[in-house]
Amino acid sequence: MSHLHIPDGVLPGWLVMAGWIVIALILAFSIYRIKNTKLNRKIPLIGIISALMIVCMTIPIIPIAYHINLSVVAGIILGPAVAFISIFIVDLIIAMFGHGGITVVGLNTVVIGTEAFIGFYLFQLFMALIGRDSIMWSSGLAAVISLILSTSILIGVVYVSQINPEIVIGIEEEHPTEAANVGNVPNELVKGINIKSFAKTILILLGIGWILEGIITAFVIKYVSRVRPDLILPERA
Amino acid sequence: MDVAIIDYYANHGKSFLHKAKAFWKIIFTAMIIASIIITNDFYLLLGIYIALVTIAVWTKLPVTKILTIAAYPAIFALIFALASWNGSWLRAGVIMLKALSAALTMVILIVTTPYPDIFNVIRPIVPKIISEGLFVTYRSVFILLELTDDLIKGLKVRGGITRRKYINNVKNFSSGIGLLLVRGFDFSEKFYGVMNVRGYGGKISSDNTKTSISRNDVIALIIGILIFAVSLGAVIEKSLLEFSVYILVFSAVALVISSIYVLFDT
Repeated sequence: MSHLHIPDGVLPGWLVMAGWIVIALILAFSIYRIKNTKLNRKIPLIGIISALMIVCMTIPIIPIAYHINLSVVAGIILGPAVAFISIFIVDLIIAMFGHGGITVVGLNTVVIGTEAFIGFYLFQLFMALIGRDSIMWSSGLAAVISLILSTSILIGVVYVSQINPEIVIGIEEEHPTEAANVGNVPNELVKGINIKSFAKTILILLGIGWILEGIITAFVIKYVSRVRPDLILPERA
Repeated sequence: MDVAIIDYYANHGKSFLHKAKAFWKIIFTAMIIASIIITNDFYLLLGIYIALVTIAVWTKLPVTKILTIAAYPAIFALIFALASWNGSWLRAGVIMLKALSAALTMVILIVTTPYPDIFNVIRPIVPKIISEGLFVTYRSVFILLELTDDLIKGLKVRGGITRRKYINNVKNFSSGIGLLLVRGFDFSEKFYGVMNVRGYGGKISSDNTKTSISRNDVIALIIGILIFAVSLGAVIEKSLLEFSVYILVFSAVALVISSIYVLFDT
């Protein structure tokens, strides 16, 4: 619910490259962190969590491509390091379905991976503060806060990109007659993306999603903690 | 996303793209994505999109289904286009076309190439945990899709999903996801264990990963090079954009002729 669904070729090249560099460093660090762990147990868990995220993304909750992510579930179960690897795999596979641009897989992974990263630590914090009996509240709250933070990162990325369609897209030079119409609209819109309008649209659309994802995360974690408590252990970090 | 349908198309198609090797198809895809990224002209982008629809027709698969799958990012591109709206329909159109064309390019790749073949090509450039993770994830998706189907049927039959009981529905649905996770993990662990016992060492057997070039590979490459050359030409020499409408007309004519040919051929 916090995917960076910006089309290929609209974000500036430096930002796309920065996304890839950042995610390469994070993945390298994650792989280094788990180098002593046996792959026999990690790989099936990565596979099933990644597959579950993909399957959940195929079930639209509201018919406007609205779906759950389960990134915080991934963070809680896999731990932040492995969750980043899992989310990278998910983003790579769904990009092949055209779900998110292939060139922005790096940035997508940074945004969604942040949900898993923050979600894991908030879950641990809430469990320590509220107590182990409050697993539902801890996971639900962790999910909502993580989603709010990752959405802020998403808006931040768009803001940092300073997307100026006149420069990025170059319509002015190619179609002078169309560009002439630009002069009739308010100046702040001509400068590029209207960050206020973008943030407003995103926040309205995603706000409902945070609550829904928080509730679903809470029930999923509650169920898993009852049936397979060994899958939710602090030492997974 | 119809993962099972996409997998079926990739494994049962008989077009030249299905016969082309994964390595060359990835090069072909990369060239078209590069064209979409560097092209900023509405008419040229529309021409590329129509050319991609023509390629989709050549795959001899249900084109409407392919276009529907590839239309998924349209809604997000629309949000982006609205947020950067300045009164120019062309700008909004460029953003929409970039998203749709890139998605269609990727969908053409995956409906003509089985996933293991794609994973085998990228395996040498990614760490082992990621390449194995990709394969196990792909396999697990099918395990989960089957389990999900059973779960939804079970929930409906036993009254787990009923009208107007939204809280109960969310609770049951979420517990269902938890069940999928636990059962799926057991399946996946067994599957991975069996693979290891049978000698799996990180390499998936595939006969479509060689890089030697065949006639089908050359055709795919020529199409990719042509599209990329047109885009690059328009970027280097802006005056060429005057001809973008002709390219659009050419693509449209190619689409009509291809559709008629494929219709009568099948």
